[in-house]
Amino acid sequence: MIRTTAVPRTVRVGAAAMGVMGAFALSGCVASGADAASEGADSTDSTPSYADGTYTAEGSYATPESVETISVTVTLESDVITAVEVSGDPQARESQEYQAKFIGGISDAVVGQDIDEISVSRVAGSSLTSGGFNKAIEDIKSQASD
Amino acid sequence: MSPGPRSSWRFDAIGTMWEIEAPHALPDAARAVVRACIESFDAEWSRFRSDSLVSALGREAGSARAPSDAAAMLDLYAELASATDGAVNPLVGATLARRGYDAGYTFTDGGASAAPRAWRDILTWSAAEVALSESAIIDVGALGKGRLVDLVLDALTPWAPDDVVVDAGGDLAVRGGPQRIGLEHPYDPRRAIGIIEVTDAALCASATNRRAWGDGLHHVLDARTGEPVRTIAATWGVAPTAMVADAAATALFFEGGPRFAYERGVEWVRMTTDGRVEWSPGSKAELFT
Repeated sequence: MIRTTAVPRTVRVGAAAMGVMGAFALSGCVASGADAASEGADSTDSTPSYADGTYTAEGSYATPESVETISVTVTLESDVITAVEVSGDPQARESQEYQAKFIGGISDAVVGQDIDEISVSRVAGSSLTSGGFNKAIEDIKSQASD
Repeated sequence: MSPGPRSSWRFDAIGTMWEIEAPHALPDAARAVVRACIESFDAEWSRFRSDSLVSALGREAGSARAPSDAAAMLDLYAELASATDGAVNPLVGATLARRGYDAGYTFTDGGASAAPRAWRDILTWSAAEVALSESAIIDVGALGKGRLVDLVLDALTPWAPDDVVVDAGGDLAVRGGPQRIGLEHPYDPRRAIGIIEVTDAALCASATNRRAWGDGLHHVLDARTGEPVRTIAATWGVAPTAMVADAAATALFFEGGPRFAYERGVEWVRMTTDGRVEWSPGSKAELFT
């Protein structure tokens, strides 16, 4: 059973994986502890909290279009993670496909331009709100600052 | 052909500013037809007025004669709900009201509550009638304004058959064109993030910045949780009708939105709250990236 509290590097690795894969629930890792395969490792040195070996667990996370599963394999030696492998993710190709088919492109940065300096007939954004909505908001602001 | 000064008629209705632009001033008869069209739609669908059809139906459940737009709008709602896995739901009215976006504009947050997930068991419709099996508040906010823009555009045909813009505060339909539409930056209304040209089509926009009140609350809620969406800040959809453009602009706040847009042939742009911009395959929008 992998307990992240006692194995700091696991936390870091976990965070890195999340950064790459997007936010996902690691509950699968905990829940599948019983399934984890442990190989070799009858360690006799000192007093490691965990038996050396290779552990595998599955996790899942939701993407905008599906629930993806990944498999994380961790090798522990004397409470230190010596190898991590993230694999599986058979549905990832679908994600790529989803993006290619339904999303034309993504830009990391958009630069706003002054509306007065571009030639447009009109502007569309959030619905322009009428007096009623705006007045109600103003009333609340003034109540809040009384 | 030198374009003379165009006529612009502005008025306030259903909680937004309208502008109808045409080559010549619209006669009183045309204005009366537009007014009546909006009034009749509002009397049927507004959850903000107690005398509307949806308010009466919501109080007592039961059934009512179907407004002429019921099937078109609710059929599309069913598609939206399915595409977004229930994030869009026509019975989200009580959820919105509880968060403070209610008929009295109280903006008092009563907390998050999910809309009924099994809404299709509660709300049924046919060409003849609309029925609720239990008390619930119908909210057609995901596409209703678009539908009304389409109705107003149609109503104006006798007076403006080929050159008119109906703009309901950011949801607009263009007959003729092209119109160059600036895409308002959701965090700075003085700026635009790009331009879309619209010819004989509709463009609807949705953003979380203006219909917003305390504690990060705004009008785009996930019906499954009652929580406001956090990932997407603004969306724009271009489609043959404003109803479909409006529906896509709503769907694009959620998972499944790009697929819905693809299946409906909607061109779109959206901006995330961390400043990225995404666009549809084949988008012709000019973006300032």
